[in-house]
Amino acid sequence: MAVRQPQTSTIAAEATTGSTEVRAAGKSDRGASPARLFRNLLLAIFLIYCVLPAAWIVVAMTKDNGQLFSTFGLWFTLPMHFLENLEGLATHQNSIFLRWFGNSLIYAGSISAGATIICAMGGYAFSKYDFPAKQFLFNFILGTIMVPSTALVLPLFLMLNKIGLVNTMWGVILPSLVNPFGLYLMKVFWDASLPNDLIEAARIEGAGELQIFSKIGLPLIQTGLVTVALLCFVGAWNNFFLPLVVLSQDSLFPLTLGLNVWNSTSANAGGKPVYNLIATGSMVSVLPLLIAFIVLGKYWRGGLTAGATKG
Amino acid sequence: MRHYRKTAFLFLAPFLTVFVAFYLAPVLYAVYLSLFVRKRIGLGPPKEVFGGLENYLRAVQDTDFLNGLKNMLVFGIFQIPIMLGFAVLLALLLDRSRGMFPKICRTVYFMPYGIPIAIGALVWGYLYSANLSPFNQILAALHQAPIQFLSPALVLFSIGNIVTWTWTGYNMITLFAALQNIPSDLYEAARVDGATPWSIVRWIKLPLLIPTLTLLFIFSVIGTSQLFTEAFVLRPLGYLADNITPNLYLYLTAARDANYSYAGALAVLLAVLIFIISGPFLRGIGSR
Repeated sequence: MAVRQPQTSTIAAEATTGSTEVRAAGKSDRGASPARLFRNLLLAIFLIYCVLPAAWIVVAMTKDNGQLFSTFGLWFTLPMHFLENLEGLATHQNSIFLRWFGNSLIYAGSISAGATIICAMGGYAFSKYDFPAKQFLFNFILGTIMVPSTALVLPLFLMLNKIGLVNTMWGVILPSLVNPFGLYLMKVFWDASLPNDLIEAARIEGAGELQIFSKIGLPLIQTGLVTVALLCFVGAWNNFFLPLVVLSQDSLFPLTLGLNVWNSTSANAGGKPVYNLIATGSMVSVLPLLIAFIVLGKYWRGGLTAGATKG
Repeated sequence: MRHYRKTAFLFLAPFLTVFVAFYLAPVLYAVYLSLFVRKRIGLGPPKEVFGGLENYLRAVQDTDFLNGLKNMLVFGIFQIPIMLGFAVLLALLLDRSRGMFPKICRTVYFMPYGIPIAIGALVWGYLYSANLSPFNQILAALHQAPIQFLSPALVLFSIGNIVTWTWTGYNMITLFAALQNIPSDLYEAARVDGATPWSIVRWIKLPLLIPTLTLLFIFSVIGTSQLFTEAFVLRPLGYLADNITPNLYLYLTAARDANYSYAGALAVLLAVLIFIISGPFLRGIGSR
């Protein structure tokens, strides 16, 4: 614990300031040398690899279904069909895509809010209180990350079936509120952000425990709350397996599931192919995350680097 | 301190409630289910009867399941070192770079992680598919035979590429953060002693990356064992065997064949296997 303390405070400090500027680490390089050129070349190749699928989507968004098959996939063709694709996306199958988009917002929003509060409270208990078997319980909860999701979701389906939650939004939301990694992160943030002396002082002043948590603690841990909320939101937005198993009614689907249904009906004989709409829909469903990612970049890194400094 | 135990429990209660209800209970239920087998008795419909370890005996002799495990193993042996190797290389390159370009690289490399796997796999599926693939369009223009990315011979490689594309940036950022945490005095001291950039990498940076790498390795092993979405999404686009990953096989056993007790046994076996593989590494981290 004594060893871990300074490291965890680095995480919180970094997340707070968002400073990932390269410090005086490593030898600085000036001027163009063959080594530097080679390095930038390697970096550029990997850059192209990373954006390749995105580039394909951007091009595919401007084509109709026939052009997708008849023209080169990585370059634009006239006439452009971007607006028609957007319109098709909004109207295809009684505007079900808009419904999926709304569903994804409901799932991700409620899961993110709920899981963050639950993890903040749980992390507070592990960080600021002593109780029997505390360390064991914490390690046990973290260890369950290793359980394969199928081992979890399939029996979960049978249980939800018995209590009538299959094919309901609650069937997706409630199980997603469990987030062991979020709990771990919140504990780290509490360790680093709220000094125990402050709690003691507040107790002497006569503040209640819940008051200390909400009036003193929560304002100090805003960075942690945003970080965990963001990670939960992204996790829920991207979730596929749980909705796949729990939901069968397509008006309840999130985006990930809906677009894949379009894909499999497009591939089936007899189904009308809508690859142009799938491509456009893919971009639309990724956009909110890309915006969140760019605007809130420092919080992502705060959450991720906790993994780097652990241990 | 005893005074606060009740308060501590109240703070923990919401987490523990959902944890027990939606995490612990299903796992225990899977173990319980796995002890039953479906048998047809007389003329009636098949019934679940207690079978003890019968499902497990069947699983260890089930060549479909065992081949799925073999696929998983082959996949892990190739994909994990390639992905982590690239991540280390890129993190080391970026650690020494300043300016706008490396900063852009850092952001863009990380972006695939933020894209839903189901969407990323879908788009890669189109880049692979026989009719849409721009790679094959280029090959066709050069009068070459198309590459069947989704054929049985190449499909593991194709899935591996999607996983590498998704996770290399994530691993790179984590390693990069670990490199940034190395105090610069270490480099100063090494340089005073006449160390070359390469020997700084070899004797300072790489050894200090080992704990982070171990952790990322464990995450990668767990991720490999859970491989499902990529294979599931690619299925309509090409021929993918039911047992291309153990999890797909498990899912189909439950969802298509409705054999939940056998699926439960497979899930338990898989979980135990992951535990055995990553256990020693976990202990390595714990002892640090």
